[in-house]
Amino acid sequence: MKWITARRRHPLAGYVVVILALAFVGVGYAFVAPSADRAQAQTVAADAPDVDLREGRQIFTESCASCHGPQGAGTETGPDLTNVGAASVDFQVSTGRMPSMNPDAQMPRRPTPFTQEEIDNLAAYVATFGEGPAVPTNVPATAPQRSDFESEEEYEAARETYDAAYEEYIAGGDTEAGMKLYLANCAHCHSWSGAGGALTDGRWAPELHEASPRQLYEAMLTGPGAMPLFNDTTLTPDEKQDLIGYVKDLQAEPNAGGVFALDRIGQVAEGFVGWTVGITLIVACAIWITAKQRAHD
Amino acid sequence: MSDTPAPKSLRAVGNFIDDRFHLAKTGEKNLRKVFPNHWSFMLGEIALYSFIILLLTGVFLTLWFKPSMTEIVYDGSYERLNGVLMSEAYASTLHITFDVRGGLLMRQIHHWAALIFVASMTIHMLRVFFTGAFRKPREINWTIGAIILLLSFVEGLFGYSLPDDLPSGMGVRILQGVILSIPVIGTYVMMFLFGGEFPGEDIIPRLYMLHILLIPGILLALIVAHFMILWHQKHTQYPGTGRTEKKVVGTPMYPAFAVKAGGFFFFTFAVIVGLSAFVQINPIHLFGPFTPTSITSGLQPDWYMGFMEGALRIFPNWFDFNIAGYAVPVAVLVPGLGSLGLLAVALIAWPWIEQWITRDREHHNVADRPRNAPTRTALGVAASVVYGLLWLAGSNDIISETFSINLYLTTWIFRVGVIVGPVVAFIVTKRICLGLQRRDRETLEHGYESGTIEQLPSGEFIEVHKTSSPETVHVLRSKRPVPRIDVEATDEEGVESPEARSVMGRLRNRLAHWYTKDNISFEGVEPHSGHHLHHGHATAGAEQEPANTH
Ligand code: HEC
Ligand code: HEC
Ligand code: HEM
Repeated sequence: MKWITARRRHPLAGYVVVILALAFVGVGYAFVAPSADRAQAQTVAADAPDVDLREGRQIFTESCASCHGPQGAGTETGPDLTNVGAASVDFQVSTGRMPSMNPDAQMPRRPTPFTQEEIDNLAAYVATFGEGPAVPTNVPATAPQRSDFESEEEYEAARETYDAAYEEYIAGGDTEAGMKLYLANCAHCHSWSGAGGALTDGRWAPELHEASPRQLYEAMLTGPGAMPLFNDTTLTPDEKQDLIGYVKDLQAEPNAGGVFALDRIGQVAEGFVGWTVGITLIVACAIWITAKQRAHD
Repeated sequence: MSDTPAPKSLRAVGNFIDDRFHLAKTGEKNLRKVFPNHWSFMLGEIALYSFIILLLTGVFLTLWFKPSMTEIVYDGSYERLNGVLMSEAYASTLHITFDVRGGLLMRQIHHWAALIFVASMTIHMLRVFFTGAFRKPREINWTIGAIILLLSFVEGLFGYSLPDDLPSGMGVRILQGVILSIPVIGTYVMMFLFGGEFPGEDIIPRLYMLHILLIPGILLALIVAHFMILWHQKHTQYPGTGRTEKKVVGTPMYPAFAVKAGGFFFFTFAVIVGLSAFVQINPIHLFGPFTPTSITSGLQPDWYMGFMEGALRIFPNWFDFNIAGYAVPVAVLVPGLGSLGLLAVALIAWPWIEQWITRDREHHNVADRPRNAPTRTALGVAASVVYGLLWLAGSNDIISETFSINLYLTTWIFRVGVIVGPVVAFIVTKRICLGLQRRDRETLEHGYESGTIEQLPSGEFIEVHKTSSPETVHVLRSKRPVPRIDVEATDEEGVESPEARSVMGRLRNRLAHWYTKDNISFEGVEPHSGHHLHHGHATAGAEQEPANTH
């Protein structure tokens, strides 16, 4: 006991106790931290109502014709839309890429200025130009928004239907097949986590986290911009479902390793934190202990 | 510690042991061993502590880890991957993560400690380099340190490959590519290591043996040797009053240093555990198992492998060629093996290279101030710049995405940077060192600028210079004249030494001249002798000079 009594008064003893306590808190936390349940997905479906081609044409003339030409045949500033199909329009407009702000650059994802109904009308109108893939209506689209509904009940009901459809679609896939397909076909551009990545020529593969299952499907079906096309023969609808299920499931998966997941950037972020937080703290402590001790000597 | 004598029975045991091993004497001598007080001497300790943490957590992991590539269907508590085909190695890592109590924390501690381990060795080594603490008699210990560092890269790479998850597999794939690029023997070495085609069934059991047995064993032996040599030779120390080449000033090993070291161990431990508890590292459950068809962007090796990754990324493929139908992929061979090889040779051989250049055969126990060895410091900074740029280049995709810079542009920036950067760094650092030397000389001669402005009766304004403290004077005067190598030296009869005529000899003379030529001489400088010295009224320096104004 004498030993401890003597040490207890040492100028550093207090800090040692604090540090030990810290270590215990750290260890303890890991044991009590809840293993979070899977996060809920955030998207829901709205089935296409009857289309209104007149409205479609009107929107097209106002917002699109300047670049794509009055009959969608293309101009200097926009490609030919004759055979792109409704799927392409639905993808481009619902992700906010179209109408483009700058025809020379890749468009980022933005909130779309149109309602889903307007997009459906526009897509149906553009589909009349030629032959192209139709919108995959059996795949859940963007979740219904409260603002689109008159009453709370209607919204709740639509939301419930959507959630059920979403769950069914996502869970219907085979994780192993989806993982293999995703890692073989998409991950070299969109990265293993779907966080996206840089491509050549100033282009980039965007992150996939905001895309609805339907937008994922349409992206594969139409190959926007620098992305290759995966039509229904290259990847069958079932394989697409596996793949989409994998992406959405991985996205919803909690980060088991701690509150700071470093945006799933991985090793670069880990190395950065190791140096800026880890080593820096320890060296600061070395400087501080030495200063304390010198003051004591 | 008590003044009352120990109980008789204990004394008897003590005497019994002491009679045979004479421990008391050695023990007492060791306990009174003195350690210099400077934080930069504690950097190596961080490495020691994190190594201990690695050993302990590593042993914990071996209790559950199965180093086997046998394919099994996963059936465990991590539901997302239920029914997925994977190797036993990956499945057992999932088991450690989700089913073993504290397993995930242990894995994260093991991994964070690995990052901190290598990082602390790196800064420790930089300290030793820039203070010239690797000079005679400590060359051997420097070399041992360099080998520890290099082996740790390999140890970390192998550990990273064990869980057989996506990044593991990608890392092993790159390793395989680099081995394959070795001319003539590459294919054989690769087939031997992998026991057949990639990935085969053998690679993980083999890496496992290397990771938990062979390399830690060698590392442990080297670390022990490192400390024994350190113990025997003692630390270097920074210049200061009372510190000489012969005498070490500092705190005795026991109790002060021991308490300090103990506290520091706990702090290191706390930081590593804190990181492990709150910051996710290597989330293998998200990555999923490796399959040979997988390829992905956005994955890097651990940071200490980053410079090799960067070298691979920016080295152009202009030099690849074929001999008789066999491809020689220079663009893989040179950066893949060359970068590590160059680092290894440069690190291991540096003390001898410097000695050979400067012909400095003296014992050095007082550390150099980096500014007093301008060429060495500048070389060190230049090398760090190359390393740092290669390291950054290893994450060029992340940089390109985060800062929205064109990917090809980053490649070119790094290509140019790796060539121009070190040259600029060398010149700038050397200028700064010489500037600092000049300022030291100023301070020594004239005292320091007090910031007090005085108006003389004549109306002229002057700044009052005060004498520096004896400690400062001592530190400043520690700068020893650098022996200038006279390139045109001849012997008494006017004949060049035979060495100067050989090619090697001439090269060496050139190098020696280049290495030592730029230096501000302190010879003949007397403290506070300068005519600028204006004493304030209250100054009382130890080496007070008569006040003189002008
Ligand atoms: C400022 C000019 C501009 C406007 C306005 C514009 N677009 Fe585009 N559009 C482009 C350009 C440029 C591309 C090619 C983008 C790329 O390759 O990344 C494009 C591509 C498309 C595509 C994909 C074509 C393909 O081959 O896959 C569709 C579909 C499309 N636009 C529809 C529309 C619709 C619908 C509107 C109106 C709401 C619209 N665009 C408005 C310039 C424009
Ligand atoms: C060659 C690289 C590449 C590959 C491979 C690739 N993509 Fe893409 N992806 C892109 C690019 C580039 C864009 C952006 C296109 C644009 O905006 O013009 C994109 C956009 C997308 C989007 C729209 C994201 C959003 O929220 O706006 C989705 C969804 C998508 N890709 C899914 C996939 C899937 C699924 C796969 C695998 C089957 C895949 N991609 C393969 C390059 C790629
Ligand atoms: C000395 C330096 C060491 C370094 C740098 C190091 C590094 C690593 C790394 C980076 C990993 C990957 C961890 C992860 O999954 O995130 C790992 C895994 C592993 N290490 Fe070490 N290690 C070291 C020593 C040891 C020792 C001494 C042992 C055993 C006695 C050991 C046993 C293991 C085991 C069993 C694994 C696989 C389990 C797993 O990945 O979770 N390691 N090591």
